[in-house]
Amino acid sequence: MSADRLLLTLSDSSDSSDGHSRIEILNTGGYRSDGRRQYELRTISIDLSPQGSGADGSASLTHGLTQVNVCVFGPREAKMRSQTYHDRANVNIEVAIAAFSASERRKRGRGDKRILELSQTLKSTFEPVIQTSLYPRSQIDIYIQVLQQDGGLLQACVNATTLALANAGIPMYDFVCAVTGGVHSTSALLDLTLLEENDLPNVTVAVMPRSGKITLVSMETRLHVDRFEEIFRLAGEAGTVIHREMRRAVKDRTEQLVASMQSVGRPSTGADVGDNEY
Amino acid sequence: MTSASISKAEKSYIQAGLLTSPPRRADGRSLHDFRAIYLETGVAPLSNGSARLSIGRNPLDGSGGTEVLAAVKLEVENIEEQTLDGGRIACNVSCSPSAYPHLSSGALDDLQHDLTTVLHQTLSHPSLHPKNLGIIPRKKSWLLNLDLLVTAEAGNIYDALFLAARAALWDTKVPRTRSVEYKSPKTFLSASGDMDVDQDTRSGFDTRHVAHATDFELPDYWDEGEILEGRERWPVAVTLNLLHTAHFLDATLQEEASCASRLLVVYSHESPTAYTIQSMRMLGSDELSIPHLKKLIKEAEGYTRSMATSLTTKLEDEDFRRNQKAREKFGRRK
Repeated sequence: MSADRLLLTLSDSSDSSDGHSRIEILNTGGYRSDGRRQYELRTISIDLSPQGSGADGSASLTHGLTQVNVCVFGPREAKMRSQTYHDRANVNIEVAIAAFSASERRKRGRGDKRILELSQTLKSTFEPVIQTSLYPRSQIDIYIQVLQQDGGLLQACVNATTLALANAGIPMYDFVCAVTGGVHSTSALLDLTLLEENDLPNVTVAVMPRSGKITLVSMETRLHVDRFEEIFRLAGEAGTVIHREMRRAVKDRTEQLVASMQSVGRPSTGADVGDNEY
Repeated sequence: MTSASISKAEKSYIQAGLLTSPPRRADGRSLHDFRAIYLETGVAPLSNGSARLSIGRNPLDGSGGTEVLAAVKLEVENIEEQTLDGGRIACNVSCSPSAYPHLSSGALDDLQHDLTTVLHQTLSHPSLHPKNLGIIPRKKSWLLNLDLLVTAEAGNIYDALFLAARAALWDTKVPRTRSVEYKSPKTFLSASGDMDVDQDTRSGFDTRHVAHATDFELPDYWDEGEILEGRERWPVAVTLNLLHTAHFLDATLQEEASCASRLLVVYSHESPTAYTIQSMRMLGSDELSIPHLKKLIKEAEGYTRSMATSLTTKLEDEDFRRNQKAREKFGRRK
């Protein structure tokens, strides 16, 4: 035990930019680490233009920096007849997370437990919502691709899947809108980023806005029972906000499609509108 | 390869169209025309370099075409054996089921494996190895992970993969590192109680000469780094679809299904006078005579040269768009 001391040449470890130091979740001014207020949701951007190789419906959704693409194929003939049901459609959901989606590269195979759990959660969320009894003996395939992760993965997957199903024209009983909620000491926060998710107890809640019914509650941390009710209520309200955004995106897309349909194949006289019915 | 299921009549129709003079293709292209190629770099901000490339996308709504997303992530690796000194490259291709809606998951895995093998064997070859992937000689180096994701397929997947890989590697920045040495100051060990200040006058802040580096640090956390060395060397691939008397490029799925065999040639065009073949594959079931093969290789050299030149021009354009223009815009803000 000598007085050997190690001298590190020129270090910046006192700098707070390396991420290991304390970053305030919610500062005294009421602002979060990314500049949002307590109940403020991240920017939502929705793109319903076609993707994949001939998908029946597709949607690309971002919540801030979390980006998810979903392609829907179906209802179509099942690849494996053994998996079909005689009275309804089989809903098959596959999730793939890109290796470059997080700051640490992590290649997850299709059989990865986390991914399987995510697929199973989504399947049990959407099976009761899709009107499967209309399509017996067929299959609806939903392929989810996660391109970037910054918290709220389940939330983004649920929202993107709803949009893709709507885009594919598959009848559902209602939209499903999801949002994450968390608690920082006594303040409730909505739509958590990865930083906040890792630090705070958080819950993902999916709601069907028309009826107000909750279809999914998912929590993997510990949350005090007194806090839970407030978060639950707030998340339900946030779900309606997201629902407004989703409805607007679907409406815009439909208007676009109708406008382009009307500009094609119209006879030049314009008088034979009735002939367009077939 | 995954081909669209196609009837004999359709096959014969497509072949007849290609063999007439002038040759006729479904979208009116000539035998050696490519569909429109769209390229954007910097699409994955969490990675060290990325690109999205699509061939033959419908310009009105962005649907269709072959689309590939490529991203490079660098990891620090501890070197165990001597052979890994100087860093290494690992390529991986994954195919989204949305790109191949008719394939079962087993077939999709097989396809991924095939594509990965071709990409990895070609790009990890020592002749293409960049020189700035080492950090501390014999101790630490960078492992470059190149991940490619196929999100849509409408034919000509190999060309798209190599183009996307080249673009992502071009865009890659390697973080600058500084070697760090742990030294115990001699003054504290002196047996006498006196502080011998003059003995070790080299300041601990002087990092010019690091004799035995044991670790490294990033001098600037926010700096993206220096560009990956040898980015002109990354190869470009062309797939020549073979008919008995002619060949054509950039086949759609139906055209691929009408062709008995294809030749994939990968060329590296480092400069107008220095070009090498990095890789070559015959795909399909037909046979090829040696004179014919030599002729095709020569043609491939010309095709890949023009592909490489246009790709480089576009990449430099993208660099300008992202860096220079962003700086100008920022500078103009009050």
